Amino acid sequence: MILFFLTSGLFLGWSLGANDASNVFGSAVGSRMISFRKAAIISSIAVIFGAVIQGSGASQTLGDLGAVNALGGSFTVALAAAVTVFAMTRFSLPVSTTQAVVGAIIGWNFFTGNKTDSATLIKIVSTWVTGPVIGALFAIILFRMISLLKKKSNIHLIKFESRIRTGLLLAGAFGAYSLGANNIANVMGVFVPAFNLQELDLGFFSLSSNQQLFLFGGIAIAAGIISYSKRVMQTVGANIMQLSAEAALVVVLAHSLVLFIFSSSSLSAMFTKAGLPAIPMVPVSSTQVILGCIIGIGLYRGVHNINFRLAGEIALGWIITPVISGVISFFSLFFVKNIFSINVGNKVPDNIASDNIQIIADENISLIFRHLLSGVIIILIVAFILYILLENKKAREMKKSEEKFWHSIK
Amino acid sequence: MALFTRTTRNLILKIDEFFDNIEIGLVVFREGIKSYLEKDHEVFLRHIQKLETLESNADKLQRLIENEMITHSILPQHREEVVMLIDALDEIMDVLKKSLDEFNIELPEIPESLNKHFINLTDASLSAAEELMPAARAYFRAPHTVREKLLKVYYYESETDKISRNIKTTIFHEMNDLDLAAKAHLRYIIHHVENISDLAQKAADRLSVMSIKLDM
Repeated sequence: MILFFLTSGLFLGWSLGANDASNVFGSAVGSRMISFRKAAIISSIAVIFGAVIQGSGASQTLGDLGAVNALGGSFTVALAAAVTVFAMTRFSLPVSTTQAVVGAIIGWNFFTGNKTDSATLIKIVSTWVTGPVIGALFAIILFRMISLLKKKSNIHLIKFESRIRTGLLLAGAFGAYSLGANNIANVMGVFVPAFNLQELDLGFFSLSSNQQLFLFGGIAIAAGIISYSKRVMQTVGANIMQLSAEAALVVVLAHSLVLFIFSSSSLSAMFTKAGLPAIPMVPVSSTQVILGCIIGIGLYRGVHNINFRLAGEIALGWIITPVISGVISFFSLFFVKNIFSINVGNKVPDNIASDNIQIIADENISLIFRHLLSGVIIILIVAFILYILLENKKAREMKKSEEKFWHSIK
Repeated sequence: MALFTRTTRNLILKIDEFFDNIEIGLVVFREGIKSYLEKDHEVFLRHIQKLETLESNADKLQRLIENEMITHSILPQHREEVVMLIDALDEIMDVLKKSLDEFNIELPEIPESLNKHFINLTDASLSAAEELMPAARAYFRAPHTVREKLLKVYYYESETDKISRNIKTTIFHEMNDLDLAAKAHLRYIIHHVENISDLAQKAADRLSVMSIKLDM
């Protein structure tokens, strides 16, 4: 039953992969610099690494907004957010998973009578504004730098494009890593207090309870990327503004930097050490950041380059997303509690710290997790080997046909 | 990544080689016309042969370039235009070969008094195509300089038109000893030479738009 509750989180992860991965590689795929297949493989691997290695930073903030204190509540909150994101993705509207989760948590707060921590809410909402603004600034600076470099170096167009492509792959991998690190909190954050799994020793490294959850979440995101993100990638990359190759690189790079800044605890510590204010560890909306970057370049090149109607439609989605998600969450909680008689959480007295409320999972759950992980890893390895074999076969056939063509030409 | 760098390097070399072919083709055509007017048939045949080799080489390079660009998805946003530019340049090469071939097959009788005019016409028409080449090369390295380089193409194209008009006027108004068939034949040959600059202008127009798009 406990594992069943986790499925809604995995569904949310899948929705995030289908929707938010478009932010990382959308401009590259939309500008036809990188094929969707290559983008999907790279971002899937990087997103899992980001989630497992650096995922814990931003998940704390969501817990502060509303510590969902029953597994039934976590399930319903994640499901409400996932349904919202999935529905918006169905209409090819790039929505923000962060906003869907925030809306769903506030819905839970309303339902259980818990107070929404306004300071945390302001902290999160402020990143909805600062994220795109910083993204736009980064984009303008980077775009100017690349344009100057291109003009000064007299580099051959094809060589330049080849460098841009390499840059896009690296920046995209970095972006996917940052997405995993920053947004895994949206997917698994609500489940963190409910699980306490045994540490999983894999020989050369070990995974903590949270990391095991994040690994599952990461794999769900990867599944979303591979199976459903193609359409949204094309919307982001091609419809808002026609992006040149260098603009696509700038967008991916600026977006990755913003996401990294808001999820790197060590960078925040460096800021504090230097006497500067700490960077809030908040799951930012990658959709808003990417749009900020694209608008930044559009403004730099001339306002007429931006499709403001579509940008407006997307902005409208940002307002609608938390509201819809909150409403779905509220009514779903009512439904789950009263029809299925499942505990969805209760009001936390003001003098009790939310961290103390934790559901401890038993050894069997850890064992099931271990088997599941082994199964998933084996499937992934087999799929990878099959993919390599098929690609090799295709390459061989293509070479054969090429040779035939040139032979007949001669 | 190494494979990618090698592909890129090979493609750049092939494009440069293609441009070299066109440039040499233009020189060979000029020498071919001169040798025809000087009635040096042996040298003229040698030039035809040389041009045939260059044209076939250019065709092969064109196919290879297009093939590699599509197979390795190089310049996805500008590929179509680059392919069309290479196609336009290859068309010039085809016309060079075809024109020299027609001189060889039809053996037009050009009165000696028109030799100088014919050389001027060839020079002007070929200059238009020759001036196109630095602009085409600049598209890949310094697209912001393409348009200023193209100005000379337009100049030589209009010069060609003027020269061609003058020769035709001379043939049809002053050379009464020539019969109408000979006059018509000369006009046809003039049209062939003139066509080179027209094609250069067409390619220049395309290149001009391409450079603007690239600079945007």
